[in-house]
Amino acid sequence: MFKNIFVILATSLALAACTKKAPENDNTINYGLRTNLKALDPEQGSETSANEIIPNIFETLFEYHYLKRPVVLQPLLAEAMPTVSKDGRTYTIKIKKGIRFQDSEVFPDGKGREVKAQDFIYSWKRIADPRNKGEGWWIFDGKIEGINDWNAKLAKGGKPEEVNEAFNAPISGLQAPDDYTIVIKLAKPFYQLNNVLAMPFASVVPKEAVDKYGEEFMNHPVGTGPYKFESWIRGNKVTLVRNPNWHGGTYPNEGAPGDQEAGLLADAGKPLPFADKLVFHEIPEAQPRWLNLMKGALDFGGIPKDNFDNTITDGKLKPEMVSKGMKLWTFPSLEVVYIGFNMADPLLGKNLELRRALSLAYDGQTARKKFYNDRATIAMSPLSPDIDGYDAKFVNPWKEFNVEKAKEHLKKAGYPEGKGLPAIEYNISGSSTDRQMGEYVQQQFQKIGVQVNIISSSWPQFIERLNQKKAQMFGIAWVADYPDQGNMLQTLYSKSAAPGPNNSNYNSKEFDALFEQSEKIPPGPARIALFHKMRDQFVKDVPWIPTVHRLNDIIYQGWINNLKRHDIIRNSYKYIRVDQAKKAELKAKL
Amino acid sequence: MWRYVARRMLYMIPILFGITLVTFLLFNVAGGDPAAQAAGRYATPERLAQIREQMGLDKPLLEQYLHMVKQLATFDFGRSWSSRQEISGLIWAGIGPSLSVTFPAFVLSLLITIPFSLLLAAKRNTAIDKGTMVTCLGLISISSVVYVLAGQYFLAYKLGWFPVSGWDPSWDGRWQYATLPILIMVSLSLGADILFFRTVFVEEMFQDYVRTARSKGLSNAKILLKHVLKNGMVPIITAVVLQIPFLITGSLLIESFFGIPGLGGLIYQAIQEADFPVIKAMVLIGAISYMVFQLISDVLYALVDPKIRLS
Repeated sequence: MFKNIFVILATSLALAACTKKAPENDNTINYGLRTNLKALDPEQGSETSANEIIPNIFETLFEYHYLKRPVVLQPLLAEAMPTVSKDGRTYTIKIKKGIRFQDSEVFPDGKGREVKAQDFIYSWKRIADPRNKGEGWWIFDGKIEGINDWNAKLAKGGKPEEVNEAFNAPISGLQAPDDYTIVIKLAKPFYQLNNVLAMPFASVVPKEAVDKYGEEFMNHPVGTGPYKFESWIRGNKVTLVRNPNWHGGTYPNEGAPGDQEAGLLADAGKPLPFADKLVFHEIPEAQPRWLNLMKGALDFGGIPKDNFDNTITDGKLKPEMVSKGMKLWTFPSLEVVYIGFNMADPLLGKNLELRRALSLAYDGQTARKKFYNDRATIAMSPLSPDIDGYDAKFVNPWKEFNVEKAKEHLKKAGYPEGKGLPAIEYNISGSSTDRQMGEYVQQQFQKIGVQVNIISSSWPQFIERLNQKKAQMFGIAWVADYPDQGNMLQTLYSKSAAPGPNNSNYNSKEFDALFEQSEKIPPGPARIALFHKMRDQFVKDVPWIPTVHRLNDIIYQGWINNLKRHDIIRNSYKYIRVDQAKKAELKAKL
Repeated sequence: MWRYVARRMLYMIPILFGITLVTFLLFNVAGGDPAAQAAGRYATPERLAQIREQMGLDKPLLEQYLHMVKQLATFDFGRSWSSRQEISGLIWAGIGPSLSVTFPAFVLSLLITIPFSLLLAAKRNTAIDKGTMVTCLGLISISSVVYVLAGQYFLAYKLGWFPVSGWDPSWDGRWQYATLPILIMVSLSLGADILFFRTVFVEEMFQDYVRTARSKGLSNAKILLKHVLKNGMVPIITAVVLQIPFLITGSLLIESFFGIPGLGGLIYQAIQEADFPVIKAMVLIGAISYMVFQLISDVLYALVDPKIRLS
């Protein structure tokens, strides 16, 4: 019997090794997700992996121009950018006519229904509905007239009929006077509303699908986007296919300086999307993700830390990669990494000279090489690169690495050579790289005689210490939610102190006044001037040592055209074109 | 024999009770507030109370425990917190892919290791035997991650024999992706299995009946295949049958590196996301299938060796 089993098994394995599947349609984009997916519902999607997929299925009123930098908003499902009342509190948005939801069994006859203004209001109510445990409530919280009262009523609970009635109750700040007009009334001026409405959270979803699938809507997404959901094998892959009823769009005719030369305008004016199919593979492990990319099974992806030295030298791809046709795209993260001082701490918070001394003693250039492989720009302030108001030439005088000067300031602080100064606690969250960075900070400050104790804890514990204002000094980063320096600078506004985003509990009347003023005026040169004044105030008070703005590197195959990744532009797949002839030629070399 | 099986099944009742009780205490009493886990970041106290009510956590502990027993009996574990899908559906969907890798690997590895160990036992203390033992020890000492990394790097990436990772749910396409994980699983078990089986067979060869058989003039091959193999099967069956429950639950490591949508990946993801209902269901199913296969192994024991009486 054993013999027979063996024969069958051996034959089936041998057959398996020989069977080559018919090649898949090659007009497909393959991408490797770094984490396993949880949900394909825009309301739940705050994770990077979900946000890679969701904006292809669902759409928002506005989107970012694919090529222009710094990024610029443009209408997507909206007919035009909103008209805003003089007091900045009423937004009127016209939506495009004839936009249809994707065909789905949830509609009568399976035909997608036209999208109406009421659909947006329904979708936004879903985000604000506490029953859904959504992650996007903060985008409307306190900003839209009447929404907090509405939310509070639902949070109270009660019988299902009562709760449903509470859900259907109108919100005074969200109105649809006709099928194609949305009027949003704000509780106070909020000039970043357009940015918020371009976030995947604010996508339009059909009520029919939510009603039919209930809790499982996240596994059966239906939207208006260029791609529709085909299948999801959990733990393996998600497949999207071209939506034949998409309302359409064309490749941009203009871009940023350099785009023409880089070939990014070769497809100008052509109809979108280019690819027929998108496949997102769930590959949480770095090695298979990287090997699949090197084999051409994936079309683009980041470089794992361990493979960096074999891939890039002096900021350029190594020749062996270039010979395979691979290309490199580098873009900045909209963020700042920093070492924060707790301004509520009786020692660090009260001693400006001590903070200056520490800032001067920190060698940022070496850290940049050591921890970021040179793939970062030195940060001078909280303002993020690639957002209006960033000034690459600005120099923060306390960011000069100068041990002698640092010692002088330490003396002025009352601790010559560090004498009499108790050890400072530096808080980090537990990863091994963070630990190495902590040790680096320790060495840096040791040079001027300042002792540092590293407090290493898990991420939740670390956040807990920050929230309780217990962390004396800490290493952390702030990533912009949308491209606006105000979003970066709220990390220093006293009213958003811990547990808010102001982890250093910085409290400056001058800064606050400037910040509040900036919230009241629309984007433009006057607001940028205020941002610069806030930056100057920040430099004066040294509540942090800003360290770097990280750069992201993406490797992409030679057959991929029009790739221009950006953290905020999440619906970029419709612009990417696969050159199938080139793919056949290059893939043979991999 | 049926009496024995029936009695053993009766014994299983108190053990089952113990398992469910421990699982219940672990998750519902010691594990913190499940409602707070499910509620997410922005839950108000009212909302938390609502969720507790929905999840039945406001009920007395005994009632909650009985609910869990009912879930197990009806194979209806409710919905996953993270994917909101029916857990029983997730489990059914995962069994196939897991078994597609683990079962062929299991059979293949037995087909290699048993005859090979028997051969080594026959040739004990020769250079082949000693060399193999050293190699096996070496194989055991290497971390299993290394097998996966090396397999993917050399066999898939460098030689291009297999795809690096991935899965195809269709039967035709499945083997293209399953072959490399199967080969890796086989090599993972080779070292330990050969050492163990060889020891069993060598021990058997020093038994009196072997000497008798030999003195009767039986050929070496006949002694090995007819007597040593059969008698050696007793401890082997125990070890092998108890591996079966783990075939169903799949391999956490292999599935996460190869993107196989099986139960190993389901458990891995559930642990990462603190998806308690899924973890609870898998713990219960794992424990119970272990019990069932232990019974099967005991019964098989008796079938192979009539000397062992089922009492």
